[in-house]
Formats: sequence, C-alpha cells, structure tokens
Amino acid sequence: MRRKRKKMKRSKLFLLLPLLFLVCCSVTNYWKVRVEVPAKIVLDLNQYSNIVVTDFLIQKESKEFNLNQEIVKYFVEGLEQQFKGKVSSKKVSLDKEELFQDKDFWKSLFPDQEGTVILTGNATYTQEIRKAILETRKKRDEDFYSRSQAIEERRFYTLDLSLYLIDTKTLYTRAFKETQGYNNPNQTAPFAFFDLVERVKGKLFQSLLGGERIQERYLIKD
Amino acid sequence: MTDKKIKLFAFLLIAFTLILSGCSRSYKSSQIQFGIFAAQNDLWDEAIFRWKKAVQSNPESAAAHNNLAVAYEKKGLLEEAEKEYETALKLDPKNSYIKANLENFKKNLESQGEDEKKEKKDEKK
Repeated sequence: MRRKRKKMKRSKLFLLLPLLFLVCCSVTNYWKVRVEVPAKIVLDLNQYSNIVVTDFLIQKESKEFNLNQEIVKYFVEGLEQQFKGKVSSKKVSLDKEELFQDKDFWKSLFPDQEGTVILTGNATYTQEIRKAILETRKKRDEDFYSRSQAIEERRFYTLDLSLYLIDTKTLYTRAFKETQGYNNPNQTAPFAFFDLVERVKGKLFQSLLGGERIQERYLIKD
Repeated sequence: MTDKKIKLFAFLLIAFTLILSGCSRSYKSSQIQFGIFAAQNDLWDEAIFRWKKAVQSNPESAAAHNNLAVAYEKKGLLEEAEKEYETALKLDPKNSYIKANLENFKKNLESQGEDEKKEKKDEKK
C-alpha cells in the first residue's frame, strides 16, 4: 500500500511539471513598460550662458510673506540645479506692465547682455474661502445609511504668474494660473504657494530646458 | 502496460509536442523577445535594431511594429513612432494593447500641442 501511494505521488508530481511549464509560457503576451518620452523644447535656454532673474511686478501682495522675494529665490534655485550656465538675480524696480515690452529699458539695465537672458514677469497671489452645502454620511454608531447636510469650507489659493524671457527682445511669454483648494482651513499661504509654484516650474522648465514625460506603453511578445 | 501508464504516456507526449511547438514559435519571434530583453535593460538602440530585423523578416508582425513604435517614442522620433503604431493597428485592429498605446501616444502629443497653442496665444497678447 505504501509503495503504491509513493508511486501515485511521484506520478502526480511528474504530471504537474509540464503543466506548470505550459502555464508559465502562456500567462502573458505583453510587458508593460514605463517610458520616459522626451518633451518638445519650445525655447532652448541652454543656448545662453547666463540667466538673470529680476524682481517681479507684484500686483497683489501676500500679507503673510514676501511674494517677490520667494518667486525670485525659487526660480534662481531651480535654474541653478538644471541650467548649465550661470544663474544670478538682480533687483529691478518694475512699476508697470508695459516695461516688459520696452527693449530700451532692458538694454539700459543690461548693456553687456551677449549670451544673457532675463527672466522676469508679474505675479498675483490670492486666497479665498469657498463654502458649499455638502451631504455627509453619519458615523457608524448613529445610523450608517442616513445622510446629513453640512456647510463645508475650502480654502483656495490662486497664483497668477506671467513670465517673460527677454534678451534683445521679448523671446518668450507664458501665463500660468494655478489654483489649489485645501480642506484644512488653517492652511498657510506660504505652504500653498510652494505647491503652486512647483507646478509652474514643472511646466516651464520642461518647455525651456527639456525633460521627460513618464508614459506607460505595452511591448508585445508576439 | 496498465491503463494509468498509457494515460501518463499520452499526456507526456501531448505536453512534449506543445512544448516543442512553443519553442519553434519563440524561435520565429526571437528577435522580438531579444528586443524586449534589451528594452528591459534600458538598451533601446539594441531593441530598435532587433525589432527592425523582426519587421524585415516578418513585415506582417504587428508586435514588431508596435514595439518599434514604443522605442521610437522613447527616442523622441515621434513621426516614425506614429507610422509604426498605425501599421501595427492596421495589421491587428483588435489588439487592445496596440490601441491603448496609440491612444496614449496621441494624448501625449495633444497635451504638448495644447501647451504650444497656449504659448502662441500669449505671445499674440
């Protein structure tokens, strides 16, 4: 009896091997791959040797922090990490929007500007509280299926940023409007600002310095 | 021979035949498999070389065209990629993977195009 059982076990194992092999061979006929696809460069900043980030024209100042200072600092630090040439900042007093198109103004500020490009622009940072009546489910210990209505508040921050790249003329302009809502009513303005400016940076740098978009594709095994 | 032994023998014979047919199939598509192996190891030039060979030896292979398109996209050769995706889909119109690839490829192109349009509008302003 024992011998018979042993034989049975062996034959079962023997049968399982080719089956496993077949299953392994036929499970998938594709391979999902994450591909870093190069993004199109609209204006190649790497043709310049020097970028100067000037002060921004602030149309609506934030009470909680110095918006101009934070924008300049953010772009200088960001460019230093990705741009091969030299990055610096310069204090310039901007009082009206027309200055961005004024070639003579920029020429007078940067007389030896061969290989130099100026990054400037105007910015507005606003916040608002939006209220809405939302349906919320009651907690378990009350009545799970009953619903109640409550006024919910969300704090929204909006960053309007128009950027200009200037050498002897305005080379490139792009306007960004980024908005983000937060459930937390105590969300601070500087914290939200960094969320929003990070989005701007991602889009802008991809167009100017190149970059890659991560995409998912299928390779087929035939 | 007992019944059990005959059944076992028959099963093994079938399994062996299937394995052999599988092997011959993989031999035909060895260039495709090799290309995938190269791509898995981030050797996309090698992958392109292999999949080009696969296309030359079998122009009707939708898989080879699809994979070649993915590699071209990775290299930033977008026009070539689009051609290859379209050829792959013509050869195998029901293949959901090729459909998904082409759809995502077009979405990516459109999103880049939208950015450019936005920039042009801003320039006009």
